[in-house]
Amino acid sequence: MDTATALGRETEIYNDYVKEWKAAGGKVVGYSCVATPVEIVEAAGLLPYRIKALGNAETELADGEMSLFNCSFCRACLQLCLDGTYDFLDGLIETNGCDHLRAMFENWQHRKKLDAFYYLKVPHFFRDDSLAYFEEQLGELKGLLEEKFSSRVTDEALDEAIRGWETVRERWRDLSALREQDRPAVSGSEALALEVKGSSMLSRDFAALLQRFMEERKGAPGARPAARLMLCGPASDEVEWFEEIERLGAVVVADALCFGARAFSRSVPEEGPPLRRLAETYLSSIFCPRMYKEYPRRRELILETARRARVDGVIYLYNKFCDLHGVDSVLVRRDLEEAGIPVLVLEKEYSARADIGRVKTRVQAFMERIGGAA
Amino acid sequence: MEKGFVMREGENGFERAMGILEMIYKLPDNLSEEDVEAMKNFVFPELQHTVIGLLELPADRELELFFFRLLLGVFKEAQRAQEEGKKLVFIPFTFPPEIFYAFDNIFPLCTEIVGGLITNICYGQGERFWDFAMGLGLPDSLCSANTIGTMPLFMGPGIRPDAIVYNSAGSCNPNAKIHAFASDYLGIPQFVLEKPVDESARGRELYRGYMKRFIRELEEWSGSEMREERLREVLEKSYQAVRLYHEYWELKKARPCPVPNIFSMTLLVLRSQLWGRQEAVDVLQKMVDISKERLRKGEYTAGEELARIYITYIYWLFDFSGYFTWLEKQGISILGDILAIHFFPEMDFSTKESMLEGLADIAFDYPMTRQMGGESISLRWLDDVAWAAQDLGADACVFGGVHACKHTLGTAAFFRREMMKRLGLPTLMLTGDVFDKRHTPMEIFQEEVKTFVEQVVARKRAQARRKKAGPSGDAAAESG
Repeated sequence: MDTATALGRETEIYNDYVKEWKAAGGKVVGYSCVATPVEIVEAAGLLPYRIKALGNAETELADGEMSLFNCSFCRACLQLCLDGTYDFLDGLIETNGCDHLRAMFENWQHRKKLDAFYYLKVPHFFRDDSLAYFEEQLGELKGLLEEKFSSRVTDEALDEAIRGWETVRERWRDLSALREQDRPAVSGSEALALEVKGSSMLSRDFAALLQRFMEERKGAPGARPAARLMLCGPASDEVEWFEEIERLGAVVVADALCFGARAFSRSVPEEGPPLRRLAETYLSSIFCPRMYKEYPRRRELILETARRARVDGVIYLYNKFCDLHGVDSVLVRRDLEEAGIPVLVLEKEYSARADIGRVKTRVQAFMERIGGAA
Repeated sequence: MEKGFVMREGENGFERAMGILEMIYKLPDNLSEEDVEAMKNFVFPELQHTVIGLLELPADRELELFFFRLLLGVFKEAQRAQEEGKKLVFIPFTFPPEIFYAFDNIFPLCTEIVGGLITNICYGQGERFWDFAMGLGLPDSLCSANTIGTMPLFMGPGIRPDAIVYNSAGSCNPNAKIHAFASDYLGIPQFVLEKPVDESARGRELYRGYMKRFIRELEEWSGSEMREERLREVLEKSYQAVRLYHEYWELKKARPCPVPNIFSMTLLVLRSQLWGRQEAVDVLQKMVDISKERLRKGEYTAGEELARIYITYIYWLFDFSGYFTWLEKQGISILGDILAIHFFPEMDFSTKESMLEGLADIAFDYPMTRQMGGESISLRWLDDVAWAAQDLGADACVFGGVHACKHTLGTAAFFRREMMKRLGLPTLMLTGDVFDKRHTPMEIFQEEVKTFVEQVVARKRAQARRKKAGPSGDAAAESG
């Protein structure tokens, strides 16, 4: 697959990469939360597939199960489950990421029978007892995948998968550096498109995709943006949002998104039993408001990223009814503005075209405020 | 945005509510119809709904006066306790208050009870506090109960807790986040008891460990040890109330239901704020006595009990008159809601360790914590409500709560289908907000429930009666 194809508008959930994998007899395990250690899935010889909706904003089937007060991204994903788009999944890993996500998974479980379903219970604190429990959970997940898919997950296989995803994370950091240049060589929408694509690939193919893309861009003179923006918020696979914002002359030079930098902030240590290393790494670096008593760490991560990328302003966007990010956005705005970084908080619906027009107006006004009007 | 923004001196919700409760305190014991009518006309229109809801029906009147006086005493004690150097903590309504009463130096105040009190007693109800939260930039998808309860802290002056406790991390985002926000924003310490979404023995073991850690943290912070003797005293009081709670539950089974609808609200306040204290025992004893007497006399408020409904989630609490009293006058008995379903384990009072384990088990299975913090929200919720509805002989269910309850709203369609399949019980789905009348006015609620009862429940019961009567009954009905 060439890079141009990878960056083309992704409209198919069941894409060519997954089709080829399935055609070769491979099994696919879906997951949604960034707290899911994909290394274990890959070490079991399975393809980890992050659940997404890719801009499919239709929700009429899902609306019959969930309410209109539930997050439209979760409803959009459930819609794709109910209409059969996700029938290629062989297994699913749920987490207690948020109320909406849990409701989505419960409906999924009630409506579709899969070979394997595992509820990965992710603690809401990073403490010794929570860590021990999470490690047990990862052991259970490994056991279930072995049992259901007649696989054997050895320590060697886990080590190899950990190395594979570490390579992805290293490449992502290199890519982030290209975004942060004075003249960014990579736009925010391109980065998000790569992440969306890579989240249904094996680590080796994702790393290769990133490598090829960066080689193509090496030395390319980037444009000087009218405004350097950072985006914060929950899971969003809406590449079109980034494109709309960047069409206004801004470049999203950094982010703290769930589909984005937050998924790559971790680094697995080299020493110790693999499951322990994974448990520690994942639980300590979720950086999501679903974790408690960790707001100071989230604030520091955002501030540090914003300063390093020399952003002119931060946009905190989240889907309507998201209490986790809705509440956190108030604190983030307060603290960033105290640090001299202007913040725009935007509440929106998932991939709604009407919202894009409204949001563009507000982003334009924000850019005028921060002196970055085109 | 400035911390501690003062809206207007003297407008703190809690203190305002206390002032109004003082008036109730001065009322004579035996209020006549004329007294109630006079009171109704004396207060502003929104408070009329609360006054009527509590006092209109003679069966409830004396008990509610007694209850509110006791409640005022406890709130005064909370203020006094803080003045005397005790630590005042805000606690959630999904958590046993006994834990805090077992400390010499900690006094609990339930956030949602404060919110409920403000909504029912203050002019403008809770809306000004909600609007203030929106002004801070908080999302309008939050829980009004928690938001209205915590906002007086931001608006000041008045009562201010020394710490905030919450136990809903991961089982209710709006509840957990607004408490965490208040703690972060105001710089007040927070104590969190996480419930693992794991109902296995391992999950319970983990929770017991978390509970012990939680108590240790409270001890260190408050500088007072949870003494074994004190814990025993509190738990003994708790279990006196438990025995009465079981009697109360049994009384609900009688047809027509002899338990006045408003007692559902009273029970909720007792369990969330007063359990473990003599006041809870005294009020519950009176509730049971009144209900027994009504049962003996065959008293029922309406001419006929038209429907026995189970509220599958929570009551609407901004208008006692429009909700509890109106339903009762229509012949619709409220059998309970999710917060009325308690499971109390056998308590071993022999050692501190055994009592703490019992307390952890109570907290693990506390209403809403048990269901929304369960491994499967939809199944645990369904199992528990179906059990309660069947045990109490419900004819139908009504779902209504608040738009913030994303966990139940996300699986409510499944719940309704399964209730029909399992028990044949129709469920009316309503959207509304327990503490904010602007969302769905009470008149809409009443119209929906009335239509549902007339068109679905009463018709279904009539069909069942005809079927039971058999062909001759049918013929008689036709000829009649």
